[in-house]
Amino acid sequence: MITRNFSLPRTAVVAITALVILTPLSLIFWQSFLNAPFFNPAKHLGLDAYRFIFDDPDFWNAFLNSVVIAAGMVLIALPLGAALAFLLTRTDLPGQRIIEVLVLVPVFISPMVLAFGYVVAMGPVGFYSLWAEKVFGDTPWNIYSLTSIAVIAGLTHVPHVYLYSSAALKSLGSDVEEAARVVGANPLRVALNVSLPMTAPALFYAAVLVFFLGFELFGLPLVLGDPEGHLVLSTYLYKLTNKLGTPSYHLMAAVAVCIVAVTFPLVLLQRWLLKTSGKYVSVKGKATRQKLLPLGGWKWIALAIVALWLVFTIVVPISGITLRAFVEQWGEGIKLTDVLTLENFRQVFDQSDQVRAIINTFLIGTIGGGLAVACYTAIGLAGHRQRGGVARVLDYLVLIPRAIPGLLAGLAFLWIFLFVPGLKEMRNTVFSVWLAYTVVWLAYGLRLISGALLQIGPELEESARTVGASNAQVLRHVTIPLIRFGLLASWLLVFMIFEREYSTGVYLLGQGTEVIGSMLVSLWGAGAIDQVAALSLINIALVAVGLGVALRFGVRLHE
Amino acid sequence: MNKPVDKLVVENLHLQYGDNPILKGVSMTLNPGEVVALLGASGSGKTTLLRSVAGLEQPSRGKITIGDTVLYDSEAGVDMPVEKRNLGLVFQSYALWPHRSVFDNVAYGLRLRGISASDIDQRVNQALTNLGLGALAKRLPHQLSGGQQQRVAIARALVYNPPVVLMDEPLSNLDAKLREEARAWLRELIVRLGLSALVVTHDQTEAMAMSDKILLLNFGKIEQQGTPEDMYNRPLSRFTAEFMGSNNYLPGKVTQVVDGRSLLEGDGWKLWGSARGEVKPGDTATGVIRLERTRIADSAGDNRLRTEVVTGMFLGDRKEQLFKLGALRIRCYGDIPSGAGETFIEIPPDDLWIFANDAG
Repeated sequence: MITRNFSLPRTAVVAITALVILTPLSLIFWQSFLNAPFFNPAKHLGLDAYRFIFDDPDFWNAFLNSVVIAAGMVLIALPLGAALAFLLTRTDLPGQRIIEVLVLVPVFISPMVLAFGYVVAMGPVGFYSLWAEKVFGDTPWNIYSLTSIAVIAGLTHVPHVYLYSSAALKSLGSDVEEAARVVGANPLRVALNVSLPMTAPALFYAAVLVFFLGFELFGLPLVLGDPEGHLVLSTYLYKLTNKLGTPSYHLMAAVAVCIVAVTFPLVLLQRWLLKTSGKYVSVKGKATRQKLLPLGGWKWIALAIVALWLVFTIVVPISGITLRAFVEQWGEGIKLTDVLTLENFRQVFDQSDQVRAIINTFLIGTIGGGLAVACYTAIGLAGHRQRGGVARVLDYLVLIPRAIPGLLAGLAFLWIFLFVPGLKEMRNTVFSVWLAYTVVWLAYGLRLISGALLQIGPELEESARTVGASNAQVLRHVTIPLIRFGLLASWLLVFMIFEREYSTGVYLLGQGTEVIGSMLVSLWGAGAIDQVAALSLINIALVAVGLGVALRFGVRLHE
Repeated sequence: MNKPVDKLVVENLHLQYGDNPILKGVSMTLNPGEVVALLGASGSGKTTLLRSVAGLEQPSRGKITIGDTVLYDSEAGVDMPVEKRNLGLVFQSYALWPHRSVFDNVAYGLRLRGISASDIDQRVNQALTNLGLGALAKRLPHQLSGGQQQRVAIARALVYNPPVVLMDEPLSNLDAKLREEARAWLRELIVRLGLSALVVTHDQTEAMAMSDKILLLNFGKIEQQGTPEDMYNRPLSRFTAEFMGSNNYLPGKVTQVVDGRSLLEGDGWKLWGSARGEVKPGDTATGVIRLERTRIADSAGDNRLRTEVVTGMFLGDRKEQLFKLGALRIRCYGDIPSGAGETFIEIPPDDLWIFANDAG
């Protein structure tokens, strides 16, 4: 359907979106070219900030570590994710339905929580380390090494690869595979000669995505990299303040620009890949009911490998946190039954800021999530069935927050809430955190909304126009009622994402803006392990509630 | 329902997607109470023309009016929004709103026009009864069969008495068997209610059965328009002749032209036929004859071809035979006379249309 009328609401939505996205970004850019914080009267333009960080060996060290970890993640996550997708979509692997849900769990658990889980489970005095020591006489691993960080990050990002490759495999009709079987290819050849090349675009896309996520990594390297002093770009940025003792905003901005300089091209590359891989869609076979490949005796081996991965990425960290949350202390020679306690939770509920963090986290997920979905819907509808100008502007606009890691977005919003009149007053309300969250997750939220909108055939809206409904009436009477369920599902997913988010709130953390995620980062820095454990478990419980409701209502956990 | 009094006129309509012209100057008229079929292959622009009238596509040039109302006029800069055009459109997919009952689907257009609830009740029920849907008002679209959904879609488009009803392939979503019954039913409905309708179809039988006038579109231009009989019996171009029926094709060379009759000669045969369009001796040309106009004969004679039987096909209500003469293949309806060694096909000269091949 074409719409030629200028529409005020649409223009307003696009303008506000542009303002909210571009202001923080331009602030970071501007700040990076100043030699002092932008509120300092003595500031002037210059490249001092870049000169400083480029002269700092720690910066280059962190940059190299980021590249190594990101590349390592791709090497680990890509084959495992693709194999997992093949096993779950194309073979008769037992227990598929449960595995399909479990696979996605790491996506919804905060990396901060996961990292902490690994420390208490597999760190030098972790539960599993001590048990392993009893059995082997020594702990055969060191989770604080750079390799361990890459391995853990790689294994926890398998779901991302799995999602894209399984979607590609599902849309690949079995008829093209059957055709290969009929002309004489055995199942392995079919997988290698037909399925793999036809899903290659999706795999490549997933590889770029994982590399990109590796560059943004914050929680894992913050927690696991600390003991041996491994820095990545985001933790380098985070530690700059400590390093110099004063708020060195211009240096942070310069690092931020360096990170965006790597991530933004990756986002553009992803977008381009998505467009080109779309070409495969038109040649794909008909998605008929697929015949599953019988694995025979191999299925138990495959199942064992999948189970091992699930144990490592879900059971180990979560059981570690759960145990740690209920003990006073842990170390060599301590008997579990002697140290069991609820004291950790009592401590959490005794601290008003931590209670506020729990309440705020809940509110930001429920009410904030609902409001965020409303905003995403408004933006989605503004671009709905639009060709040309508006749609293209929106298309590129929403890519920008995708490239800005949460930590940086939080920093930029901090500056805005410190100095913009009208917003300054809201600095100490959870609104500031909500706004930052909403912008950071804009691209994700919009994908959910546009996924729902794509389900509506254009003729359902056109027919309403022809019987006499205006554009606004079509939206109210046809489009929005038809995406109701999709909106509710989006709300649930956004709830989980907002419960999980931690890095965006780090710089915004203050009296009144506490959320569990940023609280964890802060408590971890202060060494309050007991409370970190208790809060982490509460955080997991909140996400689990969302997950439970989503599963109960049959919400697809990915777009 | 009120009888329509206004005429739909489309003048020199152009439309393009990017650099790709879809409509290249189409003009047509739809008189009140008339049914016009837009016929053409896919990509001919027939649906685009219909959607332009509805206001769902953006033409680049031309004019569309209904009576005194200007829907679109590129020169005057008029482009009435879709919802203001007050037309009825039946979509190919029916496009029933899945979240509304049959009653609410039909009532929506009336509600938008601010009609009182009691009037809506009465008019919707009247429309549903008219279409044989009286008992289904409370159902949701997915609880209906394909044929019932189609009727709801029609009721929805008719209930507010639009001056013209537009139908986009209204029968194509029905099963082949159901389609023929629906065709007769739809024609009856249109005649009974005295509707003005513009119907898009790619099926020439459907077009002939349902309409008073056919517009045959070919790559964005009108190839020919006329009554179904005209279009079928008096095609002006080879394209029309090919599109409107099942034919035999005889490629050859014109050797004589005498008072509108031309002699077409091929490899081992010569036949008299009637020239359509410009034909002169020396032209390479193609003879076209409808399958049902050929006749199987048992002896040689004027305008008869001596052929061999290849095979026969049983079609239920009749048989179709395939004959050959050199490289030529001729299809005919009828039985092969028993005992005959050779078979002859009679090609009546009036029914053999000769079209000069396009240069190049």
